Amino acid sequence: MGEPARVPRSWSTGWPRPRLGLRGRFIAFVSAVVIAFGAVLTAFAVKVQNERLRHELEERSKLLTVVAAANATDAMALLEIGELRQLFLEIRQQENVVDVVAFDEDGRILTDGTLKNPRRHQLVAEGVRRHTASSDALLLEFRGAVVEVTKPVILGARRLGGVTLSYSLTGLAEDQSAFTRRTMLVGAVFASLSLLATALLAAAVTRPLREVTAATRALSRGEAAPPLPVRTTDEVGELAAAFNEMTARLRATTVSRDELDLILDTMGECLVVTGVDGTIRRVNKAACELAGVAEEALVGSNCRRLFRAPAGSQSLLHAATADAMAHGLETALQTAAGEAVPVLVSVAPLATPGEQPRGYVIVAADLSERLRVERQKDEFVTMVHHEVRAPLTAVRGAIGLLSGGVAGQLPDSAKELVAIAQRNAERMERLVADILTARKLDAGRMDFQFLEVEPMALVRQAAEACAAYAGKYGVHIVIEGDLGETRVRVDPDRLIQVLNNVLANAVRFSPPGGTVNLHSSRTGSTVRIAVTDAGPGIPESFRDRVFEKFARADDGSWRHRSGTGLGMSISKAIMEELGGAISFESAVGAGTTFFVDLPAAN
Amino acid sequence: MARGRWSPAVLVVVAAELACSGGGSGPAPPAPAGARPAGVLTIGALSLSPGREHEVVQPFADYLAARLGEVGIGHGRVVVVESVHGMVEELAAGRVDLYIDSPFPVAFAAEHGSGLKVLLRRWKHGAESYRSLIFARADSGIETLADLRGRMIAFGEPFSTTGYLLPKTALVAAGLQVAGYQDPAAAVPPDRVGYVFSNDAESTVFWVLKGKVSAGAGNEDYFAEMTGERIDELRIVARTPSLPRNLVGARRGLDPAVEAAIVDVLLAMEDDEKGRAVLAAYEETARFDRLPQGEEEALAEVAGLLQFVAEDLGG
Ligand SMILES: Nc1ncnc2c1ncn2[C@@H]1O[C@H](COP(=O)(O)OP(=O)(O)O)[C@@H](O)[C@H]1O
Ligand SMILES: [Mg+2]
Repeated sequence: MGEPARVPRSWSTGWPRPRLGLRGRFIAFVSAVVIAFGAVLTAFAVKVQNERLRHELEERSKLLTVVAAANATDAMALLEIGELRQLFLEIRQQENVVDVVAFDEDGRILTDGTLKNPRRHQLVAEGVRRHTASSDALLLEFRGAVVEVTKPVILGARRLGGVTLSYSLTGLAEDQSAFTRRTMLVGAVFASLSLLATALLAAAVTRPLREVTAATRALSRGEAAPPLPVRTTDEVGELAAAFNEMTARLRATTVSRDELDLILDTMGECLVVTGVDGTIRRVNKAACELAGVAEEALVGSNCRRLFRAPAGSQSLLHAATADAMAHGLETALQTAAGEAVPVLVSVAPLATPGEQPRGYVIVAADLSERLRVERQKDEFVTMVHHEVRAPLTAVRGAIGLLSGGVAGQLPDSAKELVAIAQRNAERMERLVADILTARKLDAGRMDFQFLEVEPMALVRQAAEACAAYAGKYGVHIVIEGDLGETRVRVDPDRLIQVLNNVLANAVRFSPPGGTVNLHSSRTGSTVRIAVTDAGPGIPESFRDRVFEKFARADDGSWRHRSGTGLGMSISKAIMEELGGAISFESAVGAGTTFFVDLPAAN
Repeated sequence: MARGRWSPAVLVVVAAELACSGGGSGPAPPAPAGARPAGVLTIGALSLSPGREHEVVQPFADYLAARLGEVGIGHGRVVVVESVHGMVEELAAGRVDLYIDSPFPVAFAAEHGSGLKVLLRRWKHGAESYRSLIFARADSGIETLADLRGRMIAFGEPFSTTGYLLPKTALVAAGLQVAGYQDPAAAVPPDRVGYVFSNDAESTVFWVLKGKVSAGAGNEDYFAEMTGERIDELRIVARTPSLPRNLVGARRGLDPAVEAAIVDVLLAMEDDEKGRAVLAAYEETARFDRLPQGEEEALAEVAGLLQFVAEDLGG
């Protein structure tokens, strides 16, 4: 690290690395392999050829020596040096012959085939002399690229000396140069062919890659990538197939995501997805519209700014624990205009089970409309109370006075009219009372005064209250059963109200002169008061709606239709508040039984 | 390899050429300036290898002819004959103008009616003269030529001056009777000196060294080289007189002006580069010069020895 400035530039990493494409690298690599292989092969071929040549040359040298020795025998025997010189001159001129000498039995050189014959009389090597004195075989001595072959020359029993031929093993000049030329030519052809083949192969291999690259680029630009051709069944073909599969999946995912976006944007509730820290990641259209803020402004901000903390929680997200969702949280959504819109919120952690949440999904429903309707209902009820009930009471009082003869004896025709007015006023009063009761129950504003009472007393009271009404239709109310000491904890007035409703219906639907049975019983801890009539029964199709508000089965009878349709709904709400239940059994044409069940207090 | 041999067909061609060549170069008209004179100078050579001889002699003949324009010579040619007698005939007929050879054949031609006249000495192979040695194994007991009686001596080639002719003259001059044999192992009568031809100077030395013959003869100049480290195993029994290495003979009747011009050109050859190059190519001739004792005298000396070997030259 001492002096980086003195490092020669070529050693630093600052230089751009020479870049070869995959194709270039492929060609370079394969060429290198091929050339290396070719070089090794050529070297091997040359080696083999050289060895073959060397062997051949060795054989030739032996043959030539034997021939020379045979031809020289007579001349050596007769010491015809001129003849010997002539013979050796011819041998000397043979290719690859480096030297040839004839020597006598003492090992002294006779001639080397030249006129000058500078080694005349000189002794040949000791080894050669010894060999010649004792053997008739060839003696081979290698001196580098030259072999010296000695053949003892023997005529009959006479050892005349020998012939030594020095022969080059480096190859016949023609042979070797021809072989080298041939090898080089073959090598060059081989190299260029393999280079061509490599280039073609590289193009074939990289073509699909280039196609994939182009298709991927197209995809990333958002263009539709046409399916790649799958030409082969090999890895390259597999790549193309895999790519096609990927684009198909990607397209499917994109489509389903688009669908999801559409769904989320169409849903009425506000959807807000946040990170763990509450940073908003995405919102749907409803959320943007309710908040009056563009999506871009919402995404990235914290959801704390959008939602107030629900009552009793530090923040909205605190309300949802790490692994469970929170439902029905009432809070407010802060709009851009500064309004706080009441919302009902569900918060669910975004997590695969057993993992830390990656964020939260918040779904908020706008409550302002519902609250407005509630408010309007309340306003209506208040209006009914003040503007209908009070005047109605006055009207009924006045009619009562009229029928009571305060304004003198009424003629019979007038009496009849006053009676009609009185009936309708009472009916209207009932209707108003029912409406007010129903609203009170709905809004949870009905007060209940719970007392422990003996239900039989209440049953009797209810029967008495209805007796007059039943009498009008010639219907008898028969009280049956006995509950003994059984007590229930109820608001007695409300229970009587329920029993009145049920009894009134039974009377109303009973045939004239019929009987309504009021039967009380206890089974275990449940007290049951059953009211049975022999009326037409409740039509099958209407049974589901008996407890709905303002619901009345239309069977064509005026008397039957005279109700408000609120009785059963009020009764059901009261029974729930009392901790009991109301239900019925009915057979068309045979009659109906309503059951009022209560838990026994003892 | 084919160089050494000469096919019969080629010999026929050469013979035909000789037959057609007609007379030598008579008195030639002066050559017109710029054109080559028509006169031809013919050089004769004695050899069994006419092809090789042509190759060696022709450049010399051309060189010479090119410088004889003033005396009407424009062309040089070479005539090769196989025997001394043939040469005598060619010279006598005027078909050969110059005959350059060893002293014995030149002397023989002169003695046998060719009317040959010696002009100069030729330093063939760089030597002005040569002589022969007669040698025997040092342990042979042969100390004088007389000790060779009843023994066999090896000579070189039958036409060789130093290998045969000169040593033989020495033996005969010493009063010994010589007899030729084919077989070196033949029995030689006690009053004779038997001889065989080894046909090779190297063989002669080996024969003596290895006792195949009792003695041998050869050119003194090559003796040391031939014997090498074994020189001590030999004893020199006799040395012959020296003879000029080569003689240049001119035919009788050659134009004296041409003759004089030839002598001038040959003597001057060693003085110019072209001349020296031609000399070197012509069997390593060092120079041509006049014979120290005079041409007549020199020829007489050779002729004096020739009597002992005349029959060997075909006489
Ligand atoms: N005992 C009964 N027999 C036949 N129908 C009955 C009987 N009790 C109730 N219903 C049916 O249930 C409807 C609802 O009863 P209720 O809520 O008391 O309204 P209302 O008595 O004012 O009609 C009645 O209109 C009637 O159609
Ligand atoms: Mg009713």
